[in-house]
Amino acid sequence: MSRYALFLGCTTPTRVPQYELSARWLCKHFGVELIDVEDFVCCGANQINLSIETGLLLAAMNLALAEARGLDIITLCPWCFTALAAGAEELKNQELKSKVNERLSTIGLEYNGKSKVKHISRVLYEDVGLDRIKQEVRKDLSKVRVAPHYGCRYLKPSWASKGFDEPDDPKTLHQMISITGATSVDYETFNLCCGGKAFPVSDDVAHSLIRKKLDDVNRKEVDCMVLSCQTCYLMYATQQEKINEKFNERYNIPVLLLPQFLGLAMGAAPEADLGLNLNVPSVDGLLSKIDGKV
Amino acid sequence: MAMPGKPIQVTELDSSFKAEVIAHEAARGITACFSCGTCTAACPVHEMFPEFDPRKIARMVNLGMKERVLSSPHIWYCTTCLECEESCPQRVNFFQVLSVLKNMAAREGYAPPCWVNQTKQVMQTGIVFATEEAWVKKREELSLPPLKGDGRKAAKLIQLAGADKITAK
Repeated sequence: MSRYALFLGCTTPTRVPQYELSARWLCKHFGVELIDVEDFVCCGANQINLSIETGLLLAAMNLALAEARGLDIITLCPWCFTALAAGAEELKNQELKSKVNERLSTIGLEYNGKSKVKHISRVLYEDVGLDRIKQEVRKDLSKVRVAPHYGCRYLKPSWASKGFDEPDDPKTLHQMISITGATSVDYETFNLCCGGKAFPVSDDVAHSLIRKKLDDVNRKEVDCMVLSCQTCYLMYATQQEKINEKFNERYNIPVLLLPQFLGLAMGAAPEADLGLNLNVPSVDGLLSKIDGKV
Repeated sequence: MAMPGKPIQVTELDSSFKAEVIAHEAARGITACFSCGTCTAACPVHEMFPEFDPRKIARMVNLGMKERVLSSPHIWYCTTCLECEESCPQRVNFFQVLSVLKNMAAREGYAPPCWVNQTKQVMQTGIVFATEEAWVKKREELSLPPLKGDGRKAAKLIQLAGADKITAK
């Protein structure tokens, strides 16, 4: 059906492997072929902090590696998506492209702008499509209430999400959730950033942003949050216990990556196919509810 | 009543700072800023930490307050969510401007250790975290393919960009 070089990034394969596991299961199920490219390196997004040029060179290197294999790229991380897409956009400037290619020639690569980049959410929405997802739903999720969290780079910069979704009034994640029969619940802070990119510098900045959203989501009495960014996952899920300790709260909101959620609806094995046993907080309550035990 | 702050002394400003900033293509947009503050109103970090203030940073650059901007720990608080850019009526690319400021601050020795360490890790293993044993094992358990962990090509590019010379504060 479609075929992509799988760009794993840094954080997913080593911190949130259940995202990778479930994405591989889901893509296989839908006939989206994923090709592993072991030479891929950091996308450059965080490198921009110290050196904009490094960021661009690493983006160009990765794009050139995909191009050499005649493949477009699918990313799991929305930051990787925008870093690579922004690199491709900048390299439309011929003068800059020549300069970058001079650098790339020292490692035996050349960039010509032939490979395109998509985030997995867009591949699911456009290549697979809502109808196909709906056909594959095997579980009754009609009692499940979900808070969708888009995350910043799913929608912004707006030029990168153009033709896919609208930053001010997004709908695609809502649709991918509700097509399973679950209820997609609106909440005031739906577009609030998780703070993940400030976390390494100041956990106070990130924690204050995480708490604000968890507080809002908690009042909506949802069964889980669904998102498609490993950094957002680390903030809302992995940091949730820290938030409880730090602010004397008692949040217990499961957080699922989008491929885990869709896989669950489609009847995939929660542990072996989706790695749901690795999620914190525990998703056991949600699984029981879906299987009608609650 | 709070004491007034220290008056801005023209002699303490660096009139070449703005020119230095906009010499970087990525930061040229700052010349369009008319200090309306829409960026600050849209910024989720500012709402929680008022000391992080995009409009204030832009104004300080335009005034030439080089040392205060580059030495400020707050320029590293940005979560890069892009609300500032998306809301700006003058289409100032503030995230890019801030990136240029962080690059300049890094060369002056103000880089937070976390980002310097990430660059070092990429030079060693291509991606961050690649060779941590606990995660290597976890990937094996999940039957996920091993990560190559080769940073040589990335290191070459990082050296060409001069980022290998940046040291932490």
